Amino acid sequence: MAQKSSLKTVLEIAVIVFVSAVFGIFWNRTLLADAWRGAPAAPQAAPAAQQAEALPMPIGLAQVKELHDSGQAVLVDARSGASFAKEHISGARSLPLEEATRQRTPQLEGVAKDAVVIAYCNGFSCHDSMDLGKLLIKAGYGSVYVFEGGLPEWRDSGYPTSGGAR
Amino acid sequence: MKLFHARMIPVALRVALGAIFIYAAVPKIADPVAFAGSVAAYRILPYFWSYLTAAVLPFLELLCGVLLVCGVRVRSGALIIGVLNLVFMVALASAMIRGLDIDCGCFRPEGAKTAPWVALLRDTLFLFMTAIVIRHERLQVRSPLPERTAFRD
Repeated sequence: MAQKSSLKTVLEIAVIVFVSAVFGIFWNRTLLADAWRGAPAAPQAAPAAQQAEALPMPIGLAQVKELHDSGQAVLVDARSGASFAKEHISGARSLPLEEATRQRTPQLEGVAKDAVVIAYCNGFSCHDSMDLGKLLIKAGYGSVYVFEGGLPEWRDSGYPTSGGAR
Repeated sequence: MKLFHARMIPVALRVALGAIFIYAAVPKIADPVAFAGSVAAYRILPYFWSYLTAAVLPFLELLCGVLLVCGVRVRSGALIIGVLNLVFMVALASAMIRGLDIDCGCFRPEGAKTAPWVALLRDTLFLFMTAIVIRHERLQVRSPLPERTAFRD
């Protein structure tokens, strides 16, 4: 009797998990297909020189990596100084959103106003990079992008990071 | 009157637990990308798996929550919720041990940041609630509605 009831529970659990998985995968099929290809929300075209706009453009991991490796872009970390010290994308410079907000029109030392600037922070749940991007556009930078996958996506792809203890 | 109260507690806990999980699931279903970001921030799963988790987990939470609220397949729903809670607690503990400065991603993806230890305490409470619900369900299965049996006699 007890064995039968346990078997019934196991079967029920299996059905519940299966139904949830089918619903979840179907509901998010486009997102999952994009994630499988490794570029959710990535723009299709290569980033061309972007005119000043109110909002920074999103940029995908592959393009960030390309621009990073070729040295064509300046990566700006919008997280706190402490988080930056712990770990950041190799070659990135720190400009915490808090500090940029205080400066109102933040300036990146030694970076031309027409240079490609990519802001990032702690991934999709973090909006600091978008806010920093807006401030940088306001400060006169013409080609500002936001890498929404941020440090988590970069690190998970095995790309180089720098900083202290993980 | 006292007996009535005592019997209502597990039912109230079951409905509350179900409602909490429905409340947790809806914003994640509405914004799976933000939730995927929260999952990725734990640095446990590889890139694609964060998205797969973000796609499936909220629906599992929603379905179990609805089952608990409706009182259908309670034992199975509560067992899944219990296991989910344990998984959340392990993930939170590992984030705390590794010193990750992240939001727990438990409820609203864009809500106020919840510290891992607060989330851990909250999950402990949920786990306790789940245990009571499962125990009550088992007791009911063993001796279904004794007062009705007495009435029939």
